[in-house]
Amino acid sequence: MTTQETNDDRIALLQGTLDLLILKTLALGSCHGQGVARLIQRQSEEVFFVDHGSLYLALQRLEDKKWISAKWGVSENNRKARFYTLTSKGRDQLAEKTGEWRRLARAMALILDNSMVPRTEEA
Amino acid sequence: MLGRKRSAEDFAEEIKAHLELEADELKRDGLDDEEARWKARRTFGNVRLAQERFYLKDRWAALDKTLRDLRFAFRSLRQSPGFTLTAVLTLALGMGANTAVFSVMNAVLLRSLPVFEPNRLVFVQTSNPPMGTGTVDSNLTFSYPVYDALRSQNRGLSPVIAYVPLSGNKVAVRYGAQPEEAEGDMVSGTFFSGLGVNLPLGRGFSSQDETDHAPVAVLSYNYWTRRFARDPGVLGKTLYVNGVPITIIGISAEGFEGVEGGSSTDFWIPLQNRRELNAWGNPPEDGKLYIDNPKWWCLRLIARLDPGVSRTQALAQLQPLFQSAAYIGLGSPMQGETPPVLGLSDQKNSYGTDQKFTRPLHILMAMVGLVLLIALTNVVMLLMARNATRQREFSLRLALGAGRGALLRLLFMESFLLVTAGGLLAWGFAVAATRILGQWAQIETSLAPDRTVLLFTLAALAIAALLFGLAPLRVALAGKAELALKTSAATSNSDAGKSRTGRIIVTLQLAMCVVLLVGGGLLIRTMRNLENVPLGMDVNGLVAFGVKPDIPSIPEGYAIYANLLGKLRALPGVESVTIMEERIGSWWSDNSDMRVDGRLPDVANGASRTVRSNVVSSDFFRTLGVPILSGREFADSDNVNSPHVGIINEEFARRFLPNTNPLGHSIGTDDGRYTMTIIGVVKDHKYRSIDEEPIPMAWYDYAQIPNVGGMNVEIRVHGDPLAILPAARKVVQQIDPNLPLIKPMTQRDQFDSTIAQQILFARLAGCFGILAIALVATGLYGTLAYRVSMRTAEIGVRMAVGARREQVVWMILKDSLLLTTAGVVMGIPLAMLVGNALAASLYGVKPLDAVSYLLAVLGVALVALAASAVPAGRAASVDPLTALRTE
Repeated sequence: MTTQETNDDRIALLQGTLDLLILKTLALGSCHGQGVARLIQRQSEEVFFVDHGSLYLALQRLEDKKWISAKWGVSENNRKARFYTLTSKGRDQLAEKTGEWRRLARAMALILDNSMVPRTEEA
Repeated sequence: MLGRKRSAEDFAEEIKAHLELEADELKRDGLDDEEARWKARRTFGNVRLAQERFYLKDRWAALDKTLRDLRFAFRSLRQSPGFTLTAVLTLALGMGANTAVFSVMNAVLLRSLPVFEPNRLVFVQTSNPPMGTGTVDSNLTFSYPVYDALRSQNRGLSPVIAYVPLSGNKVAVRYGAQPEEAEGDMVSGTFFSGLGVNLPLGRGFSSQDETDHAPVAVLSYNYWTRRFARDPGVLGKTLYVNGVPITIIGISAEGFEGVEGGSSTDFWIPLQNRRELNAWGNPPEDGKLYIDNPKWWCLRLIARLDPGVSRTQALAQLQPLFQSAAYIGLGSPMQGETPPVLGLSDQKNSYGTDQKFTRPLHILMAMVGLVLLIALTNVVMLLMARNATRQREFSLRLALGAGRGALLRLLFMESFLLVTAGGLLAWGFAVAATRILGQWAQIETSLAPDRTVLLFTLAALAIAALLFGLAPLRVALAGKAELALKTSAATSNSDAGKSRTGRIIVTLQLAMCVVLLVGGGLLIRTMRNLENVPLGMDVNGLVAFGVKPDIPSIPEGYAIYANLLGKLRALPGVESVTIMEERIGSWWSDNSDMRVDGRLPDVANGASRTVRSNVVSSDFFRTLGVPILSGREFADSDNVNSPHVGIINEEFARRFLPNTNPLGHSIGTDDGRYTMTIIGVVKDHKYRSIDEEPIPMAWYDYAQIPNVGGMNVEIRVHGDPLAILPAARKVVQQIDPNLPLIKPMTQRDQFDSTIAQQILFARLAGCFGILAIALVATGLYGTLAYRVSMRTAEIGVRMAVGARREQVVWMILKDSLLLTTAGVVMGIPLAMLVGNALAASLYGVKPLDAVSYLLAVLGVALVALAASAVPAGRAASVDPLTALRTE
């Protein structure tokens, strides 16, 4: 919702994709919110801009759905932080959503590549 | 299971941790502490906003979900407007009738006085008054000496408060130029303080006001609103009461209209001691006012129990004191006289003592209860039928992934919407109905529903909502996803058990309907009987009103009335005019024993000697149109200097002067101080009310007795009786500009007011009967129509294999006739019980009145037939081919 004006070529996340990215990030191991944000940004080669407020709300939403669980702990540099872990339910969701996303991306690619050829009547 | 909801503080903590982690990382990248913190914050964006969104998240979600459910339920109800309208109207009628009757009951019987600690207030009663006293009510009124003794005691009651009306009906008041009438009471100085009634404006009375008989008045909030448009400027102004100037000093709390239920007092003044303001507006008796007359028990007493003292304790303490006070000024009790016994009654029951409202209201409440039961079962049946046809919809939803919870939420939301709409409509209906009821029943207290009534209605609605939500539950839970695959309407809806429930409900409804119709029928026949009771006179063309001129002395009193009669008789259009002390048809009468030929007449073992007497002028019987059987009636020539003459009715002659010509015999008061010679015998006619039985009656000539007070004027005119009133008013005000016409009305209306209660009762019962039958008809129609539509395929098959249309119609009709018979068989014994309960309220009808029963059964049968006609017709017009093809 916060369409922040940025002068670089980072793009705002599509609706619904943030959940998938969080699940994917947590599949690598439990992590705190700040770490998740950094990882997403870094792994997307700084293309995605993650609004931190939205990120924490998304984490909360996933926690409410019981796809991830959370616990307060201590970070490697001795800071108090809330650590998130993927649940088995979350793992299933990740697999399902990944499949969905692949299909969507493939379909998008097909259409975008083909639409370059103009249609002619009575070919 | 579900962990506690995460707090907003915890969320804030997490964000703080994020900012620190981010700053740490930035510092590692080479930024200094200050810069790292600032940058971490900047990249995060709006912290406050994130926290806000976290806080609102759950709330929005819940609200959003509820709104979505509501919208969905609303759409789903809108898809079947016929069902929705029927359900809402049924509920509104049933609930509205209950709310209306309950608010009347609440206002008249249940509501406590708007006073401080009403549970400590008691009405003082006596088993009987001592012999030789006159009373207004033989159980509820006391003499001034008794009041004085009770209030000076210190044995459990404090204070003891007296109150007494200034008139039997209304009293003449004047504010400015125009005389008018109002209801006023004289009260103790402790009235407002003792009851704990607040005065939003001005002050109440003090004990000093009572001792001084101060000429001050407190107006009721209602009167202040109605007459003075809540003008605070009335304080300090003068109100003339019976011509006596009284200063207005206060306005009483809103909602306080006196201590007796069902009536409303307009103003109060402290107990007075002057001729113009005697208790009940009576003329002085032997020159004595109520305050000096131990023989006149006319004050009503209310008292407050001391804290921690029970009624029994207080009574034990007070009994001896009361029994000696009762004989102050009367001498010692006569031989064998039963001493009066003091009693204390709950303030709520003050009005219930005469059973005038209690019984009818309880019976009405039971009747509307039955109506509500019919209405509720109707809606339940409608819902069940509707949801049964929706089974495929439910199955489809389940198959498409809706949770059972979502289905249940939908059903409850629908019932919630129905109940809310029905409840709102019912409330509006009840508010309007109570307003009309109050006018019909001539109950002056406000009957408008209050908080108690609201609670009652809400409770009933909650039960309804639960019932409506639960009824379809079974259907919804029974819906299985596989059912959606069965495409045949016939197979997916064939559940014999459900229709059996429907049949039992319809039978019960028919039984209740029989009960209500029998009850209504009995009461309506009572009303017809009462309306056709011969009065023994011709009331058409008669108009009556009261006048209460100031009468300084008895001879002046005779002169005032002679003058008034003369002037009224001279008015154009007037046929004849008479005056009477007690207005006939108003429940008032003078009751006493009378001497016949010098002694109290012998009566067979313990029979009553009571004679109802009245004080009247010449032309009384001619004006009323009562036939004179022998002798003559009073003439203007009978006066204080001529021999005393009296008139009796047939019943008096039959009872006390049998087998002899009554003319020439002497009769008189029970104390022997006034005797008169019988000069006429008149035919029996009604005196107090329409439903009274013949009773001995006697008439005195006002111009001969040593007592003159306020009078009622009766005028017979040609044409509209009320048209004479302006002219009559002018005549009265020539005599005294302070005098209003008190309660002017036609004599017909006056008599009708004595059966107003019964008429209202009968009309309401009739209405409820009709309401019940209409509801039962819709219920029966709904059930049958539903069954026919379910059996369309079956009927098609039957017709295809050769069933004739008549057979199909008969099949449907037989069904409803069976239900009706069962309902009638169950209803009649119940109706007999109700009839017995009603016995006391019937007039000229037996509780087992064959006509009422027959009409009720006939009515139910006709309605059942009518309700089944349409479905039967539809069944007959089923086209076998179409019916089979739709499958």
